[in-house]
Amino acid sequence: MDVNSINPILDAFVNILPQLGFKTIEKKAVKVAESSLRSSGLIVNIGVMGPLKGAILIGMDTDSAKKFASKMMMGMEVAELDSLAQSAISEMGNMVCANACTNFSQSGMGGLDISPPTLLIGKDATIKLSVPKVIGVTFVVDGITIDVYVGLF
Amino acid sequence: MGVRVMVVDDSTFSRAVIADALAEGGYEVVGEAESIDSLIKIYDECKPDVVTMDIAMPGADGFECSKALIMHDPKAKVVLVSSMKDEETEQEAKRVGIVGYVQKPVDAESLVKIINNVMAPDSMYKNLEHSAVDIFKEALAQSITRMTKTTAEFEDGTVGNQAVSQGITVVIGIIGKYSGNMIFDLAVDTADKMAKVILRREAKNREEVVSLVAEFANVVGGVACSMLNKKEKAFGLRVAPPSVFYGEATEVVSPNIQCQNVFAETDFGRMALSVGFKKGSVLWM
Repeated sequence: MDVNSINPILDAFVNILPQLGFKTIEKKAVKVAESSLRSSGLIVNIGVMGPLKGAILIGMDTDSAKKFASKMMMGMEVAELDSLAQSAISEMGNMVCANACTNFSQSGMGGLDISPPTLLIGKDATIKLSVPKVIGVTFVVDGITIDVYVGLF
Repeated sequence: MGVRVMVVDDSTFSRAVIADALAEGGYEVVGEAESIDSLIKIYDECKPDVVTMDIAMPGADGFECSKALIMHDPKAKVVLVSSMKDEETEQEAKRVGIVGYVQKPVDAESLVKIINNVMAPDSMYKNLEHSAVDIFKEALAQSITRMTKTTAEFEDGTVGNQAVSQGITVVIGIIGKYSGNMIFDLAVDTADKMAKVILRREAKNREEVVSLVAEFANVVGGVACSMLNKKEKAFGLRVAPPSVFYGEATEVVSPNIQCQNVFAETDFGRMALSVGFKKGSVLWM
């Protein structure tokens, strides 16, 4: 898939985050990678089925994840990535991906469906997706760096 | 006992058409209201299982009526009946808490299907929750036997949504009437040994082992979902392509889902499988 075809997902990200209390959303870098990714911190995995298949992943390092969850919970202190913080971040992933499905459907590709989010938290993980190519987009959201990976075919 | 339905519509003609369609489906129309004024009173009197709601009504529209009704009784099941069918209306309906949507002119078949769905999801979900883990276990057992010609001993684990990876974790999203996840986990050493037997040679590299584990999990998930679909066609379960995670002590969490865990003791080592579904929304048509 080419880089432009992931716009409905990026639009969803830019659309949903302000609703969660984030103010500045900057798109920093776009890269096309092979199907292997590295993650150190937290990653949300959401499976996609329909005319496009694969997964959408949203990743950030542990400190960023704590800051992100804290912002989502109106500034509540998040010292550990406990179940509340985990649930908040996975809900963000769910909202972004659900909104992306709506955007795809508005641009003529209906019938996409997503699975519930799974969170993976680890120091140094490699992720292998069952897709030929992954497009990674780095966002900086109120100073927090977040990577959105799209592996769809 | 039949399903009791209340019809809310400002048009006498529409109420008659809907009542006919409902009667055809074997439902009992227990009450009718034509505006928000009598809505709550009649609802309380006739205690319906489902309320069909027109959108366009003079005064308070169907959304306002639905909000009032759901606020009055949060368990009220409202099905919207409307000639408008666009995304915005659907989104608004979902936000209000309306459970189903059927388009005017009402055809009896769609209405019956929607109401059956509105009334059935809990028992269907329970059915899935009840049979899922055994079926995934069976699919895992079959796959081990077919691919490695060995057998495994199974042990049921606890229910929960958190686990620490033994080394390699495959996450497979499941989509259908109810969406969920299957998580398959094993140690690198276990994966290496299994790969050697399946490939009948040493694996070339880690990459090859990881791909093989992903494919193995994909088969298990696919077989299990088709077994479940055979049991209940309406599940319509399908598996999304696997994502594999490997590295140091990865914690795997499925927030808001209760997963059932099962362990397989195999010739190669211990394998863990976890599966869980979340209750989905009702069918929209």
